[in-house]
Amino acid sequence: MKALSPSVLAGASAVAILAAGLPIGSAFAQDTVIRFIQCGDEIAETYPELIEQFEADHPGVSVEVEVVGWGECQDKATTLAAAGDPVGLAYMGSRTLKQLALNGLIVPIPMTEEEKASYYPHIVDTVTFDGQQWGFPTAFSTKALYYNKGLMEAAGLDPETPPTTWDELYEMSAAVAEETGVSGYGLIAKSFDSTAHHFLNWLYTNNGSVIDEDGNITLDSPEAIEALAALGRMVPVSEPGATAYESAELRALFNDEQLAFLQSGPWERVRFNEGIDWGVAPLPTGPSATGPGTLLITDSLAVFNGTGYEDLAIEFARFLTNPENQFAYESVHGLTPLRPVPGVDELVAEDPTWKPFIDGIPNGGPEPLFVDYRGFQDVMIDMVQSVVLGEATAEDAIATAAADLEEYK
Amino acid sequence: MTGTRSAITFAWLLLLPALIYILTIVGYPLIDTINLSFTDASLRPTVNFVGWENYQDIFNAEFGGIIVRTIVWTTFSVGLKILIGTCGALLLNAAIPGRTLFRILTMPPWIIPIPIGVFAWGWLYNGQFGMISAMLEGLGLTSGPTEFLAYGNTAFWSTIVTDVWIGVPMVTMYLLAAVQSIPKDLYEAAWTDGAGRFYRFRRITLPMLLPAIATMSTLSLIFTFNSFDIIWILTGGGPRGQTTTMIIDTYKTAIGSYKYGAGAARAVMICLFLSVFCYFYFRLINKVSRQGA
Repeated sequence: MKALSPSVLAGASAVAILAAGLPIGSAFAQDTVIRFIQCGDEIAETYPELIEQFEADHPGVSVEVEVVGWGECQDKATTLAAAGDPVGLAYMGSRTLKQLALNGLIVPIPMTEEEKASYYPHIVDTVTFDGQQWGFPTAFSTKALYYNKGLMEAAGLDPETPPTTWDELYEMSAAVAEETGVSGYGLIAKSFDSTAHHFLNWLYTNNGSVIDEDGNITLDSPEAIEALAALGRMVPVSEPGATAYESAELRALFNDEQLAFLQSGPWERVRFNEGIDWGVAPLPTGPSATGPGTLLITDSLAVFNGTGYEDLAIEFARFLTNPENQFAYESVHGLTPLRPVPGVDELVAEDPTWKPFIDGIPNGGPEPLFVDYRGFQDVMIDMVQSVVLGEATAEDAIATAAADLEEYK
Repeated sequence: MTGTRSAITFAWLLLLPALIYILTIVGYPLIDTINLSFTDASLRPTVNFVGWENYQDIFNAEFGGIIVRTIVWTTFSVGLKILIGTCGALLLNAAIPGRTLFRILTMPPWIIPIPIGVFAWGWLYNGQFGMISAMLEGLGLTSGPTEFLAYGNTAFWSTIVTDVWIGVPMVTMYLLAAVQSIPKDLYEAAWTDGAGRFYRFRRITLPMLLPAIATMSTLSLIFTFNSFDIIWILTGGGPRGQTTTMIIDTYKTAIGSYKYGAGAARAVMICLFLSVFCYFYFRLINKVSRQGA
C-alpha cells in the first residue's frame, strides 16, 4: 500500500476537522454555555446539584465549570478577559474588583437595598466601588486570636483569660517567652500577601484606615502609627526572623507548641493537632479602638464583560449566592457566614469557637480597593518589614508607605 | 553563473524550514515584545504608544540596584556550578568502585521537580524546624535558631545555594561526557613523557574541556539569569527586595500588576543584557581557546 504524502494527510485532517466542527456549531447555535472559573482543587460540593437545577430552570443553557488551582485561577480569568476571551463569571478576590472594573473587564452587579441589607455590616463595602457593586460575595473570612492554654499555664497566666488589648498581648507573650522559652506571638512579615492582611488586622483593631470612600489615602494617621509601632514592639516576643514567616509556617509552630498566640481565620479550628489545648478570642484591640475589629476579606463571583450573556451570568451568580445556597456552601467549606441567617445561631450554639469570628464583623474593615492591588500589597509588606527589621521607625514607615500608595490608588 | 545562482537558491530553500521555524518561535514574539514595550498595554482594552516612557521609568526607578544584584547573583551561581560541576565530572570519571552508583546519586536534584526541591530547601532554611540551623546550633557555631530567609544578606546567599544545588547535576553530566571524549592516547603519551597528574590536567584536560565549559557556562548563564521559581518560592523577592532580580521584577510588573508594556520593556532589557553579556563572553572564551591552542 502506498503511503500518503504529508500534504495529503494535512489536507485530509483539515477537511475532517471542518467536517466535524460543522454539525457541532449548527446543533448548539442557539444554546448558551456559561463558562465559570472556580478556584480550588475540585468543584465546590454544593455546586453540581445547583448547576443541574439552574440548567433545568433555563432550557438551552448549560454551565461549564473549569476548576483552576488557587495560584493561577484569578490570573487566568483576568488574562482571558484582557485577551478578549472572557469567561462568564469567575471566583475572584474582591480586592481585584476595582482594577477589573476600571479596565472595563467586569460588569456592575445590580444589587437591591434588600439584598445589601441581608449581609452582615461592611460585607457589601468589600465589593463596592464608585457607588456600585462589582461582585457577589461568596467566601468570607475574619480573624481572631488563637491561644495555647498549656503554654499560658506554664507561663503562670490564667489560660481562661486571653489578652483583650495590645498591651496585654505584649505582656502575656513576653511572659510565655521568658517562662517557657518558646515564642509568644506569631508575627507575619514574609514577602507574602498575608503580611499585608496581618497589618490590616492591627490597623482595624485601632480604628485606622488605608483609603477613604473618595479615594484619599488615609494611612498616615496616629491610629496607623500606633498600630505599626505596636506590631514592631512584638518583634522581641515573637518567633525569631519573622520576615521568613507567613500563616502556614506559623501554624506549624503553633501545632508544635512553639507558639502561644496566633492570629488566623476560622479554618485553623480543624487543622490543629489533636492534644493541643487551645482557645480562641476576639483580636486584642489598640488604644484608639471603638470596639472589636478584624479585617473582612471576601472573595466574589465577578461577571465578565463581553460574553454576550452577562445578564444570564449575573442571574446564575445570584442564584449560587442566595442566602440559602450560600449558607450551605459556607457550612460545607467552614467559612465565616456572610449573612445573619437563622442557621448562624445554631452554628455558634453547636460550636462556640465561631463566636469571636462573628463578633468582630461590625467594627471590621474591608480589604482596601486599589487600582493596582499587588502594588498596594508590596508597599504594605515593605512597610511592615522595614519596622520588623528595625530599619525604620513606625512614623517614617507609615509616611513613606502613604506617599507610595498614591501611585496605586 | 547560473549554476552558482541555482546553488544559492537551493541553499536558501534548504534553510527555509529552519528560517520559518526561527521566525515563528523567536522572531515574532521578540518583535511583538519590543513593540509592546513602547506602549502602555495593561488590562485596558485600549493601547497607546508611549515612546521611551517605559524605559525612562525603568532607569528612574530602583532598577540599577536590581541589575547589579542580578549580575552578582548570576556570577556566583554560575561560577559555583561550573567549579563544582568540573570537580564532580573529574571525580566521577575516576576509576573507583561503585562509580555508576555515584553517577546516579548525582542526579536527584535535577530529577526532582524544581518546586518540590525548593520547598524542601525552604524548610531546611527554617530556623525552628530546619536541619541547617539545628546543625549550626549543635556545633556551637550559633546560639539560637538562624532564619536564613529572614534577612537580606542570608536570604540572598541561600537562594544562590539552592540554585547551585539544582544546577550542578546538569553541569556535571555535561562535563563528564566531555571528559570521557578526551582521547586516552594523549594521557598515555604525556604519562610516557613523565608528565605528572597536575601537569596532565593543566595541559590536556583543561584545554580540551574549555569549549564544553564555555558552552555550559553560556547555557547556565542564560538559565540562571532567568531563574525565577527558586527565588519566587523561597523569598518572593524579599525581604525588602533584597532577592529581587531582573526576572522577578519583570514578573511582578507584567503579571503581578498587569502592566504589560512596562513588563515588556524590562523583558527587552533582559534580552539585550544577555546578548551583550554572551557576546563579550564568547569573545573572551575564543581568546582563551586560541591562547590555549
